[in-house]
Amino acid sequence: MLWLYLHFPHLLLDHIRRTREETGALVIVEGSGQKVIQACPEARDQGVHGGMRLKTAISLVPELGTVRADQQQEARILEDQARWLYRYAAHIVLVPPDGLMAEIGSLQRLYGGLPAAWQTVEQALDERQLIAWPGLGHTPLAARLIARAGKGECTDDKGHIQRTLGQMPLLAAEFDARTCTRLQRLGLNTLGEVFALPAAELARRLSPETLARVQKIQGTRPDPQAPWQPPHHFRQQADFVQEIEQSQGLLFPLQRILAELEEDLCWRQQETDSLLLVLQHRHEEPSRLRIRTSGPEHRAEAFLNLVRLRFEQHPLRAPVMSLQLSVKRFLGREADTGQDLLGESQDLNEAWHTLMSRLQARLGDQALQQLSPQADHRPERAWTASGVQRNNRPAATMNDQLPRRPLWLLQGPQPLTEAPTAWFAGPERISGGWWDGQRVHRDYYIAQLHNGQLAWVFRDVRDGWFVHGWFG
Amino acid sequence: MSELLNTLMQDARVWQGHKHQQTTQPAEPTGYQVLDNQLGGIGWPRGALSECLLDAPGIGELHLLLPLMQRLSHNGKTIFWLNPPHTPYAPALAREGVNLDQVVMIHTEEAGDFLWTLENCLRSPVTGLVMAWPGKLASRDIRRLQLAAEAGSNVCVLFRERRYAEQNSPAALRLELEPGDNQELKINIVKRRGSWPGQRCALAMAHRADLAFREAPRVVQGPWPTSTR
Repeated sequence: MLWLYLHFPHLLLDHIRRTREETGALVIVEGSGQKVIQACPEARDQGVHGGMRLKTAISLVPELGTVRADQQQEARILEDQARWLYRYAAHIVLVPPDGLMAEIGSLQRLYGGLPAAWQTVEQALDERQLIAWPGLGHTPLAARLIARAGKGECTDDKGHIQRTLGQMPLLAAEFDARTCTRLQRLGLNTLGEVFALPAAELARRLSPETLARVQKIQGTRPDPQAPWQPPHHFRQQADFVQEIEQSQGLLFPLQRILAELEEDLCWRQQETDSLLLVLQHRHEEPSRLRIRTSGPEHRAEAFLNLVRLRFEQHPLRAPVMSLQLSVKRFLGREADTGQDLLGESQDLNEAWHTLMSRLQARLGDQALQQLSPQADHRPERAWTASGVQRNNRPAATMNDQLPRRPLWLLQGPQPLTEAPTAWFAGPERISGGWWDGQRVHRDYYIAQLHNGQLAWVFRDVRDGWFVHGWFG
Repeated sequence: MSELLNTLMQDARVWQGHKHQQTTQPAEPTGYQVLDNQLGGIGWPRGALSECLLDAPGIGELHLLLPLMQRLSHNGKTIFWLNPPHTPYAPALAREGVNLDQVVMIHTEEAGDFLWTLENCLRSPVTGLVMAWPGKLASRDIRRLQLAAEAGSNVCVLFRERRYAEQNSPAALRLELEPGDNQELKINIVKRRGSWPGQRCALAMAHRADLAFREAPRVVQGPWPTSTR
């Protein structure tokens, strides 16, 4: 087994920097807001460094952007990284707060050698504008120590790795403070010297735990790792240093997230038809925007257009602190066949979905309706409206059995205000609805009004006359 | 003559009074031979705006478009009803052989949305026919719609009130619809491309209510109660 460990020295900083349009000095401060933990290159150039008090940093760089570290947020960001790494390696272990580990030995054949696999991961990191220190080792702990020390090299030579480990100072070996002091008092300075001690002596003089750790580093004691399983949904979040007031400003981070979604969907060979966008505000309930497409979609550009339309219609309620995009519903991708059975090309299908999605995004889901007949004798219940849906089935042909009806139906019956000039057909008695309380008992006639309109009129049980439709 | 002028002449975009010219505009037959003849043998212009001007619904105005609806819906083209004044009655449409899967009804609330929706429908390749009831429209808006219609190649019919017949309009075809005495639809061509307007014809529309046209009883008789409410 060969392990690749990725140590992210300033993951939170990278995460925030890449969703920012402007470049300015930025630091991460610890939870209490007193001390700088991580500083971006711009800030470092101006003299700010980790461990500095925030007050000092601000006096050095007055326009310093600060972000408070948040454990939950860090864990989430780390998991985001695991998700893309999962495309390259199957066995992944999360090492919070800032490490990812992948079993890479079994992938050498797939990628054509260790250097190729190494390069693939480095390229992926580069694409995501992330800085990580990689390290290789034959045990998880060895890989971690090497990576954290920044001594990672692309080699699987056991001897070389052992030598690298051996030269490592004790402080870098992550023993607990007490053990570290005791080892130093014994006159040991490097990890190699600890390795050289006899195991039984080490356990007796120090503690069995120290021995276990040393053995785990060396690989003589098993160190099982539970593999991480990717979740069955997509979630990405962008956090902003300064609150965003204009919806235009949200499009830039969204673009990156949607591109990532597209990549994720392509990789899953799936598509989706609904996105959930959650905008966090400082003092208000978060806004939840659900963006639907009328058909399966995976292109970032299409989603972005819909979101843009949505933002045009619904301006932001309050400044936005962070934005989260999640997708829970995945649909299998349909094969891109040139033409389907009915001779309808894929292009038209796509154009149809694009059009409907656009209309729905601007007008709302309720604005678009499709009509269909329903089996009921009462005219107002003989039809239903439903949301739009692409149907490719051929139309039903047995329509001659339907009775003659007008093409226009009024929203509700209107009182007949004048005496018709001519009567043509009727009465047709429609009586029903005793089963659901919507009782209808009417005699329908076709009649012409004096201005030439051909009306479908009825007389109801209480002797009232109403117009119910027009023969358009 | 320059090529540009030639094209203009051939497309009948420049109207020449002394010549009666067949247009080469793409068009869809109306399905009524009489009307097609009056329209220079072509029918509803595609990629241009048409207007139907009528006072009240129920005179056969939908039946005028029904042959087109039937044909387009079975060719897989979508038919949009934009802000119809009443509900298009699904059982009747199904009975007439319109494929309801291709019929989409859209309601917009704001005037801006109406134009935007119409434009989007017109520009899409999936659209076959857009029927729209715009209510009030500024002349500038009709011009905008005409441009949008030119971008696509589908039929767009606006239903407006008859009083707009006097106003000019950039629409390519304008028909004034009136009911006749025997349930026929009298059509007056107010404007069309490539020829003089002013042709009139009448289409028999009695079949829309299965009236095998006998001499209808003119006298009000039958089930009319003494008290009209």
